[in-house]
Amino acid sequence: MLKRSSVAFVVVVLFFLHHPSVVRTKSTAIQAQPAAAGLPLTMPNKADSLRFAVLGDFGTGSKEQYELATEMKRVHDQFPFELVTLVGDNLYGSERPQDFKQKFEDPYKPLMDAGVKFYASLGNHDDPQEQRNYKLFNMDGKRYYTFKPDTKQSVRFFVLESSYLEPQQVAWFEQQLKDSNSDWKIPYFHHPPYSSGERHGSDPQIRNALEPLFLKYNVSVVFTGHDHFYERTKPQQGIVYFVAGSGGQLRKGNIDKSTGLTAAGNDQDQAFLIAEINGDQMWFNAISRQGKVFDTGTITRRK
Amino acid sequence: MMKLDRRSVIAVAVSVSVLGGCSRSSSPPVDQSKAAVPGTASSPAQAQPVNEDAKALAGFLDRVNQYVALHMKLENTLPKLSKESTPQQVDSHQRQFAKLIQDARKDAKQGDIFTPESQAVVKKLISRIFSGPDGASLKASIMDENPGVPNLKVNARYPDEIPVSTIPPQLLQGLPKLPEEMEYRFVGNNLILMDTHAHIIADYVPNTFRQ
Repeated sequence: MLKRSSVAFVVVVLFFLHHPSVVRTKSTAIQAQPAAAGLPLTMPNKADSLRFAVLGDFGTGSKEQYELATEMKRVHDQFPFELVTLVGDNLYGSERPQDFKQKFEDPYKPLMDAGVKFYASLGNHDDPQEQRNYKLFNMDGKRYYTFKPDTKQSVRFFVLESSYLEPQQVAWFEQQLKDSNSDWKIPYFHHPPYSSGERHGSDPQIRNALEPLFLKYNVSVVFTGHDHFYERTKPQQGIVYFVAGSGGQLRKGNIDKSTGLTAAGNDQDQAFLIAEINGDQMWFNAISRQGKVFDTGTITRRK
Repeated sequence: MMKLDRRSVIAVAVSVSVLGGCSRSSSPPVDQSKAAVPGTASSPAQAQPVNEDAKALAGFLDRVNQYVALHMKLENTLPKLSKESTPQQVDSHQRQFAKLIQDARKDAKQGDIFTPESQAVVKKLISRIFSGPDGASLKASIMDENPGVPNLKVNARYPDEIPVSTIPPQLLQGLPKLPEEMEYRFVGNNLILMDTHAHIIADYVPNTFRQ
Protein backbone atom coordinates (compact mmCIF):
# COMPACT_ATOMS: atom_id res chain seq x y z
CA MET A 1 0.00 0.00 0.00
CA LEU A 2 2.77 2.32 1.04
CA LYS A 3 4.70 1.37 -2.07
CA ARG A 4 1.74 2.15 -4.32
CA SER A 5 1.25 5.56 -2.67
CA SER A 6 4.92 6.34 -3.13
CA VAL A 7 4.74 5.45 -6.78
CA ALA A 8 1.67 7.65 -7.22
CA PHE A 9 3.42 10.50 -5.42
CA VAL A 10 6.47 10.18 -7.64
CA VAL A 11 4.27 10.14 -10.73
CA VAL A 12 2.54 13.33 -9.63
CA VAL A 13 5.83 15.04 -8.81
CA LEU A 14 7.32 13.98 -12.14
CA PHE A 15 4.28 15.31 -13.94
CA PHE A 16 4.69 18.74 -12.38
CA LEU A 17 8.44 18.73 -12.93
CA HIS A 18 8.36 17.65 -16.55
CA HIS A 19 5.02 18.81 -17.87
CA PRO A 20 6.10 22.09 -19.34
CA SER A 21 3.10 24.15 -18.36
CA VAL A 22 0.12 23.45 -16.24
CA VAL A 23 -3.12 24.99 -17.35
CA ARG A 24 -6.19 25.25 -15.19
CA THR A 25 -9.08 26.68 -17.09
CA LYS A 26 -12.77 27.22 -17.38
CA SER A 27 -14.64 28.11 -20.51
CA THR A 28 -18.28 28.63 -21.21
CA ALA A 29 -20.55 28.48 -24.20
CA ILE A 30 -21.09 31.88 -25.71
CA GLN A 31 -24.42 33.59 -25.33
CA ALA A 32 -24.94 37.09 -26.64
CA GLN A 33 -26.16 38.87 -23.54
CA PRO A 34 -26.10 42.46 -22.38
CA ALA A 35 -23.19 43.05 -20.04
CA ALA A 36 -23.80 43.36 -16.33
CA ALA A 37 -22.62 46.52 -14.56
CA GLY A 38 -19.50 44.86 -13.21
CA LEU A 39 -17.68 42.26 -15.25
CA PRO A 40 -17.17 38.88 -13.60
CA LEU A 41 -13.41 38.91 -14.08
CA THR A 42 -11.45 36.19 -12.34
CA MET A 43 -8.09 37.93 -12.18
CA PRO A 44 -6.21 38.29 -8.88
CA ASN A 45 -5.52 41.93 -9.81
CA LYS A 46 -2.53 42.19 -7.48
CA ALA A 47 -0.81 45.53 -7.22
CA ASP A 48 2.62 44.22 -8.17
CA SER A 49 1.46 42.08 -11.14
CA LEU A 50 2.07 42.81 -14.80
CA ARG A 51 -1.34 43.32 -16.37
CA PHE A 52 -1.78 43.44 -20.12
CA ALA A 53 -4.27 42.88 -22.92
CA VAL A 54 -3.96 41.11 -26.27
CA LEU A 55 -5.77 42.37 -29.36
CA GLY A 56 -5.54 41.45 -33.03
CA ASP A 57 -7.09 41.99 -36.46
CA PHE A 58 -8.90 45.05 -35.23
CA GLY A 59 -8.30 48.09 -37.48
CA THR A 60 -11.52 48.07 -39.47
CA GLY A 61 -13.09 51.30 -38.24
CA SER A 62 -16.34 49.35 -37.85
CA LYS A 63 -19.02 49.71 -35.22
CA GLU A 64 -17.95 46.36 -33.80
CA GLN A 65 -14.36 47.49 -33.35
CA TYR A 66 -15.55 50.59 -31.48
CA GLU A 67 -17.88 48.55 -29.30
CA LEU A 68 -15.10 46.16 -28.35
CA ALA A 69 -12.85 49.14 -27.61
CA THR A 70 -15.53 50.47 -25.27
CA GLU A 71 -15.62 47.10 -23.57
CA MET A 72 -11.84 47.17 -23.20
CA LYS A 73 -12.08 50.49 -21.41
CA ARG A 74 -14.77 49.09 -19.11
CA VAL A 75 -12.50 46.17 -18.28
CA HIS A 76 -9.62 48.57 -17.75
CA ASP A 77 -11.67 50.43 -15.14
CA GLN A 78 -11.79 47.19 -13.15
CA PHE A 79 -8.50 45.70 -14.17
CA PRO A 80 -6.04 48.48 -15.05
CA PHE A 81 -3.78 46.81 -17.61
CA GLU A 82 -0.66 48.79 -18.44
CA LEU A 83 -0.19 47.77 -22.05
CA VAL A 84 -1.81 46.13 -25.04
CA THR A 85 0.10 43.72 -27.28
CA LEU A 86 -1.16 43.97 -30.84
CA VAL A 87 -0.88 40.77 -32.84
CA GLY A 88 -1.17 42.36 -36.26
CA ASP A 89 -3.59 43.55 -38.92
CA ASN A 90 -3.68 46.86 -37.16
CA LEU A 91 -5.17 48.75 -40.10
CA TYR A 92 -7.25 47.26 -42.88
CA GLY A 93 -7.52 48.86 -46.30
CA SER A 94 -5.96 52.24 -46.86
CA GLU A 95 -3.42 53.62 -44.38
CA ARG A 96 -3.79 57.31 -44.95
CA PRO A 97 -3.36 59.61 -41.93
CA GLN A 98 -7.12 59.73 -41.39
CA ASP A 99 -7.17 55.93 -41.20
CA PHE A 100 -4.75 55.93 -38.27
CA LYS A 101 -7.19 58.22 -36.52
CA GLN A 102 -10.40 56.44 -37.41
CA LYS A 103 -9.13 52.87 -37.04
CA PHE A 104 -6.85 53.32 -34.06
CA GLU A 105 -6.63 56.65 -32.27
CA ASP A 106 -10.34 57.32 -31.91
CA PRO A 107 -11.53 53.93 -30.64
CA TYR A 108 -8.66 53.50 -28.16
CA LYS A 109 -8.39 57.15 -27.06
CA PRO A 110 -9.99 56.47 -23.66
CA LEU A 111 -7.40 53.75 -23.01
CA MET A 112 -4.49 55.91 -24.17
CA ASP A 113 -5.80 58.78 -22.06
CA ALA A 114 -5.66 56.38 -19.13
CA GLY A 115 -1.95 55.78 -19.84
CA VAL A 116 -2.20 52.45 -21.67
CA LYS A 117 0.58 51.84 -24.21
CA PHE A 118 0.16 49.77 -27.38
CA TYR A 119 2.99 47.65 -28.81
CA ALA A 120 2.32 46.54 -32.38
CA SER A 121 3.44 43.63 -34.46
CA LEU A 122 2.91 43.67 -38.21
CA GLY A 123 0.28 41.57 -39.95
CA ASN A 124 -0.17 40.95 -43.65
CA HIS A 125 -2.52 43.92 -43.94
CA ASP A 126 0.00 46.33 -42.43
CA ASP A 127 2.37 48.62 -44.30
CA PRO A 128 5.68 48.21 -42.46
CA GLN A 129 7.06 51.60 -43.41
CA GLU A 130 4.01 53.51 -42.21
CA GLN A 131 3.41 51.53 -39.05
CA ARG A 132 6.89 50.97 -37.68
CA ASN A 133 7.35 54.74 -37.69
CA TYR A 134 4.01 55.43 -36.05
CA LYS A 135 4.76 56.64 -32.58
CA LEU A 136 1.66 55.22 -30.90
CA PHE A 137 2.61 51.69 -31.99
CA ASN A 138 5.89 51.95 -30.03
CA MET A 139 7.91 50.00 -32.60
CA ASP A 140 10.78 52.47 -32.57
CA GLY A 141 11.19 52.23 -36.33
CA LYS A 142 11.75 48.47 -36.21
CA ARG A 143 9.89 45.67 -37.89
CA TYR A 144 10.71 43.23 -35.10
CA TYR A 145 11.85 44.11 -31.63
CA THR A 146 11.81 43.14 -27.99
CA PHE A 147 10.78 45.02 -24.89
CA LYS A 148 10.69 44.58 -21.16
CA PRO A 149 7.71 46.22 -19.55
CA ASP A 150 8.21 48.44 -16.53
CA THR A 151 7.19 45.94 -13.86
CA LYS A 152 8.52 44.02 -10.89
CA GLN A 153 7.69 40.81 -12.74
CA SER A 154 10.30 39.03 -14.78
CA VAL A 155 8.76 39.32 -18.24
CA ARG A 156 10.07 40.12 -21.72
CA PHE A 157 8.07 40.30 -24.94
CA PHE A 158 9.48 39.37 -28.35
CA VAL A 159 7.63 40.92 -31.26
CA LEU A 160 8.17 39.23 -34.63
CA GLU A 161 7.17 39.93 -38.23
CA SER A 162 5.81 36.57 -39.28
CA SER A 163 5.02 37.42 -42.90
CA TYR A 164 8.74 37.91 -43.60
CA LEU A 165 10.62 35.52 -41.38
CA GLU A 166 14.04 35.79 -42.99
CA PRO A 167 17.01 33.90 -41.51
CA GLN A 168 18.41 37.12 -39.99
CA GLN A 169 15.21 37.65 -38.03
CA VAL A 170 15.19 34.07 -36.74
CA ALA A 171 18.86 34.37 -35.74
CA TRP A 172 18.12 37.68 -34.01
CA PHE A 173 15.20 36.08 -32.17
CA GLU A 174 17.31 33.18 -30.95
CA GLN A 175 20.04 35.53 -29.75
CA GLN A 176 17.50 37.65 -27.87
CA LEU A 177 15.99 34.57 -26.23
CA LYS A 178 19.44 33.35 -25.29
CA ASP A 179 20.45 36.70 -23.82
CA SER A 180 17.23 37.17 -21.87
CA ASN A 181 17.19 36.23 -18.21
CA SER A 182 13.48 36.92 -17.87
CA ASP A 183 11.40 34.14 -16.42
CA TRP A 184 8.59 34.76 -18.86
CA LYS A 185 9.65 35.01 -22.47
CA ILE A 186 6.54 35.87 -24.47
CA PRO A 187 6.64 36.00 -28.27
CA TYR A 188 3.81 37.48 -30.24
CA PHE A 189 3.24 37.90 -33.95
CA HIS A 190 0.53 37.56 -36.58
CA HIS A 191 0.49 34.11 -38.17
CA PRO A 192 -0.48 31.28 -35.81
CA PRO A 193 1.69 28.18 -35.61
CA TYR A 194 -1.42 26.43 -34.30
CA SER A 195 -4.97 27.40 -35.15
CA SER A 196 -8.24 25.68 -35.94
CA GLY A 197 -9.24 28.26 -38.51
CA GLU A 198 -11.01 26.86 -41.53
CA ARG A 199 -9.94 29.98 -43.44
CA HIS A 200 -6.23 29.95 -42.52
CA GLY A 201 -5.45 27.41 -39.82
CA SER A 202 -2.05 26.41 -38.49
CA ASP A 203 0.94 27.80 -40.36
CA PRO A 204 3.42 24.93 -40.61
CA GLN A 205 6.22 27.11 -42.03
CA ILE A 206 6.10 29.47 -39.08
CA ARG A 207 5.83 26.52 -36.73
CA ASN A 208 8.86 24.78 -38.23
CA ALA A 209 10.93 27.92 -37.96
CA LEU A 210 9.95 29.03 -34.46
CA GLU A 211 8.69 26.13 -32.38
CA PRO A 212 12.17 24.62 -31.78
CA LEU A 213 13.24 27.96 -30.30
CA PHE A 214 10.13 28.20 -28.13
CA LEU A 215 10.91 24.76 -26.74
CA LYS A 216 14.63 25.35 -26.32
CA TYR A 217 14.19 28.60 -24.41
CA ASN A 218 11.20 27.64 -22.25
CA VAL A 219 8.53 29.77 -23.83
CA SER A 220 5.20 29.05 -22.14
CA VAL A 221 2.65 31.11 -24.09
CA VAL A 222 2.48 32.56 -27.59
CA PHE A 223 0.00 35.17 -28.82
CA THR A 224 -1.08 35.39 -32.46
CA GLY A 225 -3.97 36.50 -34.67
CA HIS A 226 -4.76 36.16 -38.42
CA ASP A 227 -7.73 33.84 -37.97
CA HIS A 228 -10.68 36.02 -37.08
CA PHE A 229 -11.82 34.44 -33.86
CA TYR A 230 -10.56 33.67 -30.37
CA GLU A 231 -8.92 30.34 -29.68
CA ARG A 232 -6.82 28.92 -26.88
CA THR A 233 -5.15 25.69 -27.89
CA LYS A 234 -4.54 22.70 -25.74
CA PRO A 235 -0.86 22.82 -24.77
CA GLN A 236 1.29 21.85 -27.75
CA GLN A 237 4.48 20.29 -26.40
CA GLY A 238 3.69 22.23 -23.24
CA ILE A 239 3.12 25.61 -24.89
CA VAL A 240 -0.27 27.31 -24.99
CA TYR A 241 -1.04 29.20 -28.20
CA PHE A 242 -3.66 31.92 -28.24
CA VAL A 243 -5.29 33.24 -31.39
CA ALA A 244 -6.77 36.66 -30.67
CA GLY A 245 -7.83 37.66 -34.15
CA SER A 246 -11.30 39.09 -33.57
CA GLY A 247 -10.54 42.58 -32.32
CA GLY A 248 -12.64 44.11 -35.08
CA GLN A 249 -12.92 41.44 -37.70
CA LEU A 250 -14.93 38.29 -37.10
CA ARG A 251 -15.33 35.14 -39.15
CA LYS A 252 -18.38 33.53 -37.64
CA GLY A 253 -18.39 29.76 -37.30
CA ASN A 254 -14.83 29.45 -38.57
CA ILE A 255 -13.37 27.30 -35.81
CA ASP A 256 -12.94 23.80 -37.15
CA LYS A 257 -13.88 21.63 -34.21
CA SER A 258 -12.31 18.56 -35.76
CA THR A 259 -8.70 19.72 -35.37
CA GLY A 260 -8.49 18.55 -31.78
CA LEU A 261 -6.45 21.64 -30.97
CA THR A 262 -9.07 23.76 -29.28
CA ALA A 263 -9.21 24.07 -25.52
CA ALA A 264 -11.58 27.03 -25.77
CA GLY A 265 -12.82 29.21 -28.59
CA ASN A 266 -15.26 31.88 -29.62
CA ASP A 267 -16.14 32.48 -33.23
CA GLN A 268 -19.44 34.18 -32.52
CA ASP A 269 -18.42 37.64 -31.31
CA GLN A 270 -15.47 40.03 -31.32
CA ALA A 271 -13.16 39.45 -28.38
CA PHE A 272 -9.92 40.31 -26.65
CA LEU A 273 -7.80 38.80 -23.94
CA ILE A 274 -6.47 40.14 -20.67
CA ALA A 275 -3.62 38.56 -18.73
CA GLU A 276 -1.88 38.99 -15.43
CA ILE A 277 1.56 37.70 -14.50
CA ASN A 278 2.77 37.34 -10.98
CA GLY A 279 5.68 35.04 -10.19
CA ASP A 280 5.33 31.80 -12.07
CA GLN A 281 1.63 32.19 -12.79
CA MET A 282 -0.23 33.80 -15.64
CA TRP A 283 -3.97 34.29 -15.26
CA PHE A 284 -6.11 35.08 -18.28
CA ASN A 285 -9.68 36.07 -19.12
CA ALA A 286 -11.13 36.28 -22.62
CA ILE A 287 -13.91 38.82 -22.98
CA SER A 288 -16.40 39.32 -25.77
CA ARG A 289 -17.86 42.51 -27.21
CA GLN A 290 -21.04 41.68 -25.32
CA GLY A 291 -19.12 41.74 -22.05
CA LYS A 292 -19.11 38.01 -21.51
CA VAL A 293 -16.06 36.50 -19.79
CA PHE A 294 -16.01 33.26 -21.74
CA ASP A 295 -12.61 31.72 -21.07
CA THR A 296 -10.57 31.89 -17.91
CA GLY A 297 -7.59 30.05 -16.56
CA THR A 298 -4.09 29.98 -15.15
CA ILE A 299 -0.86 28.91 -16.82
CA THR A 300 2.23 27.97 -14.86
CA ARG A 301 5.38 28.84 -16.71
CA ARG A 302 7.75 26.20 -18.08
CA LYS A 303 11.09 25.88 -16.34
CA MET B 1 32.55 42.53 -67.59
CA MET B 2 30.21 42.82 -64.64
CA LYS B 3 31.74 44.03 -61.43
CA LEU B 4 30.61 42.00 -58.43
CA ASP B 5 31.07 43.15 -54.88
CA ARG B 6 31.99 40.86 -51.98
CA ARG B 7 28.57 41.06 -50.35
CA SER B 8 26.94 39.85 -53.53
CA VAL B 9 29.24 36.87 -53.85
CA ILE B 10 28.65 35.74 -50.26
CA ALA B 11 24.89 36.06 -50.58
CA VAL B 12 24.96 34.27 -53.90
CA ALA B 13 27.07 31.46 -52.50
CA VAL B 14 24.32 30.84 -49.96
CA SER B 15 21.63 30.91 -52.61
CA VAL B 16 23.47 28.63 -54.95
CA SER B 17 24.05 26.12 -52.21
CA VAL B 18 20.29 26.04 -51.68
CA LEU B 19 19.69 25.66 -55.38
CA GLY B 20 22.12 22.78 -55.32
CA GLY B 21 19.69 20.45 -53.64
CA CYS B 22 18.32 21.76 -50.37
CA SER B 23 14.62 21.29 -50.93
CA ARG B 24 13.38 20.03 -47.58
CA SER B 25 11.51 22.62 -45.63
CA SER B 26 12.83 21.28 -42.36
CA SER B 27 16.43 21.83 -43.37
CA PRO B 28 18.43 23.85 -40.89
CA PRO B 29 19.48 27.37 -41.83
CA VAL B 30 22.37 27.44 -44.26
CA ASP B 31 25.68 27.91 -42.54
CA GLN B 32 27.30 30.68 -44.55
CA SER B 33 30.77 29.62 -43.51
CA LYS B 34 30.19 26.27 -45.20
CA ALA B 35 28.23 27.51 -48.18
CA ALA B 36 29.52 26.54 -51.58
CA VAL B 37 31.52 29.23 -53.27
CA PRO B 38 30.66 29.63 -56.93
CA GLY B 39 32.96 27.47 -58.99
CA THR B 40 33.81 24.99 -56.27
CA ALA B 41 31.31 22.27 -57.12
CA SER B 42 32.56 18.75 -56.70
CA SER B 43 32.58 17.68 -60.33
CA PRO B 44 33.14 19.50 -63.61
CA ALA B 45 29.69 18.44 -64.78
CA GLN B 46 28.12 20.31 -61.85
CA ALA B 47 30.48 23.23 -61.94
CA GLN B 48 29.14 24.85 -65.07
CA PRO B 49 25.47 25.35 -64.00
CA VAL B 50 26.49 26.46 -60.51
CA ASN B 51 28.75 29.07 -62.03
CA GLU B 52 26.08 30.29 -64.38
CA ASP B 53 23.46 30.47 -61.64
CA ALA B 54 25.86 32.22 -59.29
CA LYS B 55 26.81 34.71 -61.95
CA ALA B 56 23.16 35.44 -62.72
CA LEU B 57 22.31 36.00 -59.06
CA ALA B 58 25.43 38.05 -58.40
CA GLY B 59 24.47 40.22 -61.35
CA PHE B 60 21.00 40.56 -59.88
CA LEU B 61 22.41 41.66 -56.53
CA ASP B 62 24.68 44.10 -58.25
CA ARG B 63 21.69 45.72 -59.95
CA VAL B 64 19.82 45.75 -56.63
CA ASN B 65 22.77 47.58 -55.09
CA GLN B 66 22.73 50.09 -57.92
CA TYR B 67 19.02 50.62 -57.31
CA VAL B 68 19.62 51.07 -53.58
CA ALA B 69 22.36 53.61 -54.28
CA LEU B 70 19.84 55.66 -56.26
CA HIS B 71 17.26 55.10 -53.53
CA MET B 72 19.62 56.44 -50.86
CA LYS B 73 20.71 59.40 -52.95
CA LEU B 74 17.07 60.44 -53.52
CA GLU B 75 15.95 59.70 -49.98
CA ASN B 76 18.68 61.97 -48.65
CA THR B 77 17.13 64.90 -50.50
CA LEU B 78 14.00 64.61 -48.34
CA PRO B 79 13.61 65.75 -44.73
CA LYS B 80 14.36 62.84 -42.39
CA LEU B 81 11.53 61.21 -40.48
CA SER B 82 11.85 61.41 -36.73
CA LYS B 83 10.46 59.29 -33.93
CA GLU B 84 7.87 62.03 -33.45
CA SER B 85 6.69 61.94 -37.08
CA THR B 86 2.94 61.93 -37.51
CA PRO B 87 1.14 59.55 -39.90
CA GLN B 88 0.63 62.59 -42.13
CA GLN B 89 4.37 63.19 -42.28
CA VAL B 90 5.21 59.51 -42.82
CA ASP B 91 2.63 59.17 -45.58
CA SER B 92 3.70 62.39 -47.26
CA HIS B 93 7.35 61.36 -47.07
CA GLN B 94 6.57 57.98 -48.61
CA ARG B 95 4.62 59.45 -51.52
CA GLN B 96 7.17 62.18 -52.23
CA PHE B 97 9.91 59.61 -52.16
CA ALA B 98 8.00 57.33 -54.53
CA LYS B 99 7.57 60.24 -56.93
CA LEU B 100 11.30 60.94 -56.91
CA ILE B 101 12.12 57.33 -57.75
CA GLN B 102 9.39 57.08 -60.36
CA ASP B 103 10.74 60.22 -62.07
CA ALA B 104 14.34 59.03 -61.89
CA ARG B 105 13.38 55.62 -63.31
CA LYS B 106 10.66 56.71 -65.68
CA ASP B 107 11.89 54.35 -68.39
CA ALA B 108 12.23 51.37 -66.05
CA LYS B 109 10.66 48.17 -67.31
CA GLN B 110 10.14 44.62 -66.17
CA GLY B 111 13.40 42.71 -66.34
CA ASP B 112 15.75 45.61 -65.67
CA ILE B 113 16.78 44.22 -62.28
CA PHE B 114 15.58 40.67 -62.68
CA THR B 115 17.20 40.00 -66.04
CA PRO B 116 16.07 36.89 -67.94
CA GLU B 117 19.06 34.97 -66.55
CA SER B 118 18.28 35.80 -62.93
CA GLN B 119 14.57 35.20 -63.51
CA ALA B 120 15.40 31.70 -64.69
CA VAL B 121 17.46 31.01 -61.57
CA VAL B 122 14.73 32.37 -59.28
CA LYS B 123 12.11 30.24 -61.00
CA LYS B 124 14.35 27.20 -60.69
CA LEU B 125 14.79 27.86 -56.99
CA ILE B 126 11.06 28.26 -56.43
CA SER B 127 10.31 25.16 -58.45
CA ARG B 128 12.81 23.14 -56.44
CA ILE B 129 11.38 24.30 -53.12
CA PHE B 130 7.81 23.74 -54.25
CA SER B 131 8.55 20.24 -55.46
CA GLY B 132 9.49 19.23 -51.91
CA PRO B 133 7.14 17.56 -49.46
CA ASP B 134 5.85 20.92 -48.19
CA GLY B 135 5.31 22.38 -51.64
CA ALA B 136 1.54 22.47 -51.47
CA SER B 137 1.43 24.16 -48.07
CA LEU B 138 4.11 26.65 -49.14
CA LYS B 139 2.06 27.62 -52.16
CA ALA B 140 -1.05 27.89 -50.04
CA SER B 141 0.80 30.12 -47.60
CA ILE B 142 1.92 32.45 -50.40
CA MET B 143 -1.49 32.58 -52.04
CA ASP B 144 -3.34 33.20 -48.77
CA GLU B 145 -5.22 36.53 -49.18
CA ASN B 146 -3.18 37.13 -52.33
CA PRO B 147 -5.59 37.64 -55.23
CA GLY B 148 -3.04 39.34 -57.49
CA VAL B 149 -3.72 42.34 -59.70
CA PRO B 150 -4.53 42.40 -63.42
CA ASN B 151 -1.84 44.88 -64.45
CA LEU B 152 1.33 44.64 -62.47
CA LYS B 153 3.64 47.54 -63.32
CA VAL B 154 7.23 48.38 -62.50
CA ASN B 155 7.50 51.68 -60.62
CA ALA B 156 3.85 51.56 -59.55
CA ARG B 157 2.80 51.96 -55.94
CA TYR B 158 2.14 48.61 -54.27
CA PRO B 159 -1.65 48.32 -54.40
CA ASP B 160 -3.11 49.64 -51.13
CA GLU B 161 -6.11 47.40 -51.28
CA ILE B 162 -4.29 44.07 -51.21
CA PRO B 163 -2.45 42.65 -48.21
CA VAL B 164 1.18 41.65 -48.51
CA SER B 165 1.83 37.98 -49.08
CA THR B 166 3.70 35.82 -46.65
CA ILE B 167 7.13 34.75 -47.87
CA PRO B 168 7.88 31.35 -46.37
CA PRO B 169 11.14 31.13 -44.40
CA GLN B 170 12.38 28.35 -46.70
CA LEU B 171 12.15 30.64 -49.70
CA LEU B 172 13.86 33.50 -47.89
CA GLN B 173 16.69 31.13 -47.02
CA GLY B 174 17.18 30.40 -50.68
CA LEU B 175 16.78 33.81 -52.29
CA PRO B 176 19.70 36.26 -52.17
CA LYS B 177 19.57 38.45 -49.09
CA LEU B 178 18.39 41.94 -49.90
CA PRO B 179 19.43 45.25 -48.36
CA GLU B 180 17.11 46.62 -45.68
CA GLU B 181 15.42 48.96 -48.19
CA MET B 182 14.11 46.10 -50.32
CA GLU B 183 12.07 42.96 -49.86
CA TYR B 184 10.52 40.14 -51.82
CA ARG B 185 6.76 39.70 -51.94
CA PHE B 186 4.32 37.88 -54.17
CA VAL B 187 1.46 39.49 -56.03
CA GLY B 188 -0.45 36.51 -57.35
CA ASN B 189 2.26 34.18 -58.57
CA ASN B 190 4.58 37.05 -59.53
CA LEU B 191 7.58 37.55 -57.30
CA ILE B 192 8.04 41.28 -56.80
CA LEU B 193 11.00 43.25 -55.60
CA MET B 194 9.55 45.92 -53.38
CA ASP B 195 11.09 49.18 -52.28
CA THR B 196 9.77 49.23 -48.72
CA HIS B 197 10.48 52.88 -47.99
CA ALA B 198 8.82 54.18 -51.15
CA HIS B 199 6.21 51.38 -51.23
CA ILE B 200 6.72 50.81 -54.94
CA ILE B 201 7.46 47.81 -57.13
CA ALA B 202 11.05 48.02 -58.37
CA ASP B 203 10.79 44.94 -60.59
CA TYR B 204 9.17 41.52 -60.71
CA VAL B 205 9.47 37.98 -62.03
CA PRO B 206 6.20 36.99 -63.72
CA ASN B 207 4.51 33.61 -63.27
CA THR B 208 7.02 32.03 -60.97
CA PHE B 209 4.84 28.99 -60.36
CA ARG B 210 1.70 27.32 -61.59
CA GLN B 211 -1.30 28.32 -59.50
